[in-house]
Amino acid sequence: MVEFVFLSPFVTGVIAFFIPRHLGRPLLVFTGALHLVLSVLVWLRQPEPLFKSYFAVTPEGMLSLLVISLLFFLISIYTIGYLKVSDIKSEHIFTGSMLLFLSTMTMVTLSDHIMVMWIAIEATTLASAPLIYTHRTSVSLEATWKYVLICSVGIAMALLGSVLITISMDVGNVDAPVSFSALTAVATRLDPMWLKAGFAFILVGYGTKMGLAPMHTWLPDAHSEAPSPASALLSGVLLNCAYLGIFKTNKIMLAAGLGDFSGLILMGFGLISILAASTFILKQTEYKRLLAYSSIENMGIIAFGTGVGGLGAYGAMLCLIHHSLIKSSLFLTSGNILLGYGSRLIEKTGSLANRMPRTFVAFFGGFTAISGLPPFGIFIGELFVILGAFKAGHYISVTVLVVSLCAIFAGFANQAMRISFNMSEVTIGLTEKANLVWPQYVLLLTSLVLCFWIPDTLYQTIMSAVTSVEGGF
Amino acid sequence: MNIPVDLTLSLVLLSVLFSFGSSRLPGLIKVIAFQGVVVSIVPLIIGHDMTAGGILFTLATLMIRGIVIPFCIYFAIKKVAIRREVEPIVGYHASVLAGLGLIVAAMVVSHRFNAPSISASVLLLPTAIALLVAGMFLLMARRNAIAMVLGYIMMENGIYLVGTTFSVRALHIVEFGILLDVLAGVMIMAVILQNIKQTFDDVDTALLRTLKE
Repeated sequence: MVEFVFLSPFVTGVIAFFIPRHLGRPLLVFTGALHLVLSVLVWLRQPEPLFKSYFAVTPEGMLSLLVISLLFFLISIYTIGYLKVSDIKSEHIFTGSMLLFLSTMTMVTLSDHIMVMWIAIEATTLASAPLIYTHRTSVSLEATWKYVLICSVGIAMALLGSVLITISMDVGNVDAPVSFSALTAVATRLDPMWLKAGFAFILVGYGTKMGLAPMHTWLPDAHSEAPSPASALLSGVLLNCAYLGIFKTNKIMLAAGLGDFSGLILMGFGLISILAASTFILKQTEYKRLLAYSSIENMGIIAFGTGVGGLGAYGAMLCLIHHSLIKSSLFLTSGNILLGYGSRLIEKTGSLANRMPRTFVAFFGGFTAISGLPPFGIFIGELFVILGAFKAGHYISVTVLVVSLCAIFAGFANQAMRISFNMSEVTIGLTEKANLVWPQYVLLLTSLVLCFWIPDTLYQTIMSAVTSVEGGF
Repeated sequence: MNIPVDLTLSLVLLSVLFSFGSSRLPGLIKVIAFQGVVVSIVPLIIGHDMTAGGILFTLATLMIRGIVIPFCIYFAIKKVAIRREVEPIVGYHASVLAGLGLIVAAMVVSHRFNAPSISASVLLLPTAIALLVAGMFLLMARRNAIAMVLGYIMMENGIYLVGTTFSVRALHIVEFGILLDVLAGVMIMAVILQNIKQTFDDVDTALLRTLKE
């Protein structure tokens, strides 16, 4: 009955389109809580799916599912406070789309059939498009148009890639279900040329959605124009879902003995993304775009680590989990800053430490965590990626990586200091209610705790996900 | 060789050339609708053993690709009543010439691939490649947002053509899911088009250039 996890938010999402706002808000939190309970149940019991040829419970899927569920629950609590102080005109569309978005993302984590995976990822684009256009401005319209068109065309490439993989089955005379698990089992008999072509197209396609440069152009626009709870969902979990598609295809490549080919491409795209992010972060003028480029950087690190394999793959998995927790907390905090100062420009902000002390704690904590400073998880993740790359002998690329990371830290620190301590005369238009700061604190604390103490079941799941892509110690 | 299939596919190739040459949006939409119909009947004549479910699915594809999607776009135009030019970046004559070159190149390239299921027809793979690249071309060489959506639909038609040869293996429910996604995507794009028209009073994507570094 795994399907129930994504069917329940779908049903409540459809209902949310038709009910007034005083019912819609509790429904959002209720669905978040229900989803969290169901996800934990799936984690503990590992039930069989009803439609075995389409869905499966995999370690990497469960990790993403738990992250999505926890994030959505906390974000939904924040959203209640956010909706009270911001004026969103068609709130029922916003809540309905949030829930449908949750449902489609959950479907991504559980799907096993290659085409069902594609359907779910394309559905996430469609469900999240109304979220970006929530503010009904001409700029947000432009961001939505870019998002839908670039992602749809990109994901069409992934569909082509999936079709090419079925051709590789055909050429290799393989008769198996078209699912990731079945294909991984028979990978050596697939035709290598078509499989390589399929992987390349899938990487470009899902890479567009994941925000890998040079296909990332939609990402800063969409993340900066969407309302902050939606940006937190986009950055924290949507990018993970797209990565899941790449991860599972990479698993087939590794099983087919083509790991060198896929690793090299992944490392290449990863490095380009980190380089692109570092150039744009250095001279960024808007703080939400700054965070968006930081997401591109982190996705780059994750792709790079996956390509490196071994220790790097373990580091990438850690980065994936911690990036979700920390970046979504930062985007929620950026929502407070936007509500307080009324502008997205960094130069219009300042004295955050005095003006909004509770938001400042969340912002500065998030900044320290995302920059890869100890004691947060990104630090450990990046360390493993770098060590893994050294161990595998990629000296030049790891040098580029480290230099870019330093540049990104310098740029980010500069902007964060300006936001926190620059003099500012602006009057703050927001009282920091508890539910506008606590979700961020919980997210950051979760990340902090996970660095020192990982529950055994979580550790086993991470390890079994990582060993399936030939990673680990 | 499979004469009926190749004849049908040559119609698709012709539609690519027409779409490159047409300057008016209603004309372009008609070409895309025609292409949708022709592409969806290919599985019927390619010689797979058709089950009742298969025929039903093909008819559903025909309805959606040939009728529903073009009508969606057409109503988007009607409602917004825009200047009905496609605003080319690359001129029409150059586009048609590029189209011819593209078809020749697709023929040459596709000879280098060999897959048993594709060799059912000489023109299948070249047509699919031509449609994919032609869709990309429309996306890049036209500034009109509606023409860009039509380019996306053309790309989808090309992918469908590659995928259709495997409909023996693929399950219809999955194929139908893909089709629904494409349909929903086009509908959302149509809604965005109407909003773009209301906000900017035009659908020229040159107006959509505020967000950049």
